[in-house]
Amino acid sequence: MPTDRTPGSALLEARDLRVGHGTEPVCAPVDLAVAPGRALGLVGANGAGKSTLLQTLVGLLAPLAGTVTLAGREVDERRADVRRDVACVLDDEAFFPSLTGREHLLLTARGHGVRDPEAVVDAEVAAFGLTGRIDALPSRLSSGQRRRLALAAALVRPARLVVLDEPERRLDAGMRTRLAGRLARLRDDGAAVVFACHDADFLRAVADDVLLLDEDACPRLDPASAADLLPAL
Amino acid sequence: MSAPPAVLADRDAELSGAAVRRLTRRATAARADTTVAARLAEAWGSLVSVAIGVAVLAGTVASLRERVTLAGAPATATVLPAGVTAALAAVLALAGLVVALDRLGPVSSTPAAAAWWLPLPAGRRDLLRGELGRVVAAVAGTAAVAALPLALTLTDAPSLGGVAAVLAGTAGTAAALVGAVALGQTRGGGGRAAPVAGAVAVGLAAAAVGSATVLAATGGGELPPLPGLPAGWAVLPGAAAVLLLAGALAGLGRLGAGQLRALGATSQYASASALSLDTRDLGRALAARSPREPRRGRRFPRVAGAWQAVVAADRTALGRSPWHLGQVAVAVAVPVLVARTDGLGALPVAVWGACAAGWALAAVAAGHPARQAQLVPALDRLLPLSAAGVTVARAVVPLAVLAVVTTLTGLLIGVAGGTPALWTGLCAATAPAWAAAALRGAFRPEVDWSGPVVSTPMGALPTGVGATLVQGVDVGLVGSLPLAAALVSGGPTPLWLAVQLGWSVLLCAGALALVARRPSGPG
Repeated sequence: MPTDRTPGSALLEARDLRVGHGTEPVCAPVDLAVAPGRALGLVGANGAGKSTLLQTLVGLLAPLAGTVTLAGREVDERRADVRRDVACVLDDEAFFPSLTGREHLLLTARGHGVRDPEAVVDAEVAAFGLTGRIDALPSRLSSGQRRRLALAAALVRPARLVVLDEPERRLDAGMRTRLAGRLARLRDDGAAVVFACHDADFLRAVADDVLLLDEDACPRLDPASAADLLPAL
Repeated sequence: MSAPPAVLADRDAELSGAAVRRLTRRATAARADTTVAARLAEAWGSLVSVAIGVAVLAGTVASLRERVTLAGAPATATVLPAGVTAALAAVLALAGLVVALDRLGPVSSTPAAAAWWLPLPAGRRDLLRGELGRVVAAVAGTAAVAALPLALTLTDAPSLGGVAAVLAGTAGTAAALVGAVALGQTRGGGGRAAPVAGAVAVGLAAAAVGSATVLAATGGGELPPLPGLPAGWAVLPGAAAVLLLAGALAGLGRLGAGQLRALGATSQYASASALSLDTRDLGRALAARSPREPRRGRRFPRVAGAWQAVVAADRTALGRSPWHLGQVAVAVAVPVLVARTDGLGALPVAVWGACAAGWALAAVAAGHPARQAQLVPALDRLLPLSAAGVTVARAVVPLAVLAVVTTLTGLLIGVAGGTPALWTGLCAATAPAWAAAALRGAFRPEVDWSGPVVSTPMGALPTGVGATLVQGVDVGLVGSLPLAAALVSGGPTPLWLAVQLGWSVLLCAGALALVARRPSGPG
């Protein structure tokens, strides 16, 4: 298990990246590099471009300018290796309406060739507090439970890069704390984590570096300073 | 700031439901930005469009009747009198109407009406009476217009009385069905009519196919024709409609706001889908209120890899949709019934058209899981499969379903014609093209409403809308052309079978390659 968390060679790298919908960039150009075992938090006001940047980083949106590379290759989410390496939760409603929560998790785990998938799924279900509701259809879950299910699906499989858009959203306080601890462990075990966040405690617990997104510039901050900035955004 | 005075009200001054509806109607009319002249012009345009449609359809039916009269010996053994098949088709159409009524209400409230008018102390029955009236008028009117071409061509010399009787009977039947479903809704049975109607339709179709196949295979002769309708029959549906609607009207006050609001949201979704020509969304709106919780979850012990996971997910999603499974059963019945019907069975074009219609229906059903995946592209990204790999995996379930449907169709048609193996093979060989059609239809792009529009009898439509909407069924139709050629040239032969298989596989490969190149997009 890797314990040395000094930045190494980047797994995810973006250079002079401009992101936006259509032709208008939503924030200043971004440069970032995230190495295995490191976590980058994105902060900014509503509409600052956090979700747009995350979608561009995982290849769902084409950059307006600049490049994004994953393990040295340009990101193309249509490739199998990108889908194998990147687990992302950008949308809470990505479910088959007629498959239960457990069936989603089992198919994801088995699809990724996870060893002893039933045990892994059971452990994630327990970790996310879904034990009593996991055999329900997604439409019968509360929005918070669907959020937990989506997060569990990202963690029930191996991934080199975990990308999460406001993972703390709609989670109760206890679950937020447990999720932050979980992501920190994932990071310590060697995964790269990129996440957008509005929660100061969550940011402090998980992030090694923080990028503040803004129209004029996107400076790097340390997590403590960024957390202090959050109430003013 | 001083506190506002206490709000006091007189019970005698409360508005009745009818008054609320009247006020709403007047306020809406006062703010409408269309003039009376514009509305009249629009109504005239619609009337002309409907008249053109009726004339075209009537001409087609008349031409079909003429060709049936002139047709030679049937390519398939026919045992069903045309009247029996027509009656079955009418039952299937009415079952479809009941399903649509049950999914959408028939009585519902828009979210705005549910939020603002339903909490008022006005009688709910009066508030909802107008809604029920609108549904009855729309359904009965549409049914009468749809029946008009048939009424005009039922006999060589249609009489005014005969046409009027057909129209009145059809409109009355449609109104009676609205009344029956609404009555069920007011008695707490909302959502139950659709499964019953579906089961009846599938059961009748299966029974007709079974008996026709047995009669044809054993040379047992033809089914007797249906007895004629008694004089004055057209009054009966109208009388039933009056009774049922009166019962429904009396029970409108029992409808809950939550149910009305949910049904109203579904109706709005369905209307928006129809207006934007998004048949995929329309299908989603009509398919089911919400999936039923499975009794026992699946563990997928045999799934070992991404490819199998996609197939397992698709198989489970389709298996849990009784609506689509029923569609598959009807898809087999349609071509078999046409091939077994007097007159129609002698027309290769009619048999081919019925095959195409049935298999298109099966393709839509088989594409159900893919349409769900199209709605949430994130599902495709969950697994370590390339976009092209996912596309190929998503074709497995449609291919299996279409293989069963086309094989059964061929077997049931060919069983009495002396060449069941060739019929079976020829039909089964179209399966790859229709499986690709299922996937191409599921992943076709949205109609682009941002570009230029052209004026049509149906109003302004975006350019290229036709080319977008036919994506899917186009591959199936073109892929089945060798079958048409075989039918026209006298029946299936080994050569046509080989041509059909090669052509179908080629089109399937091309269509899948195109689908795989589509951008995944956010979401």
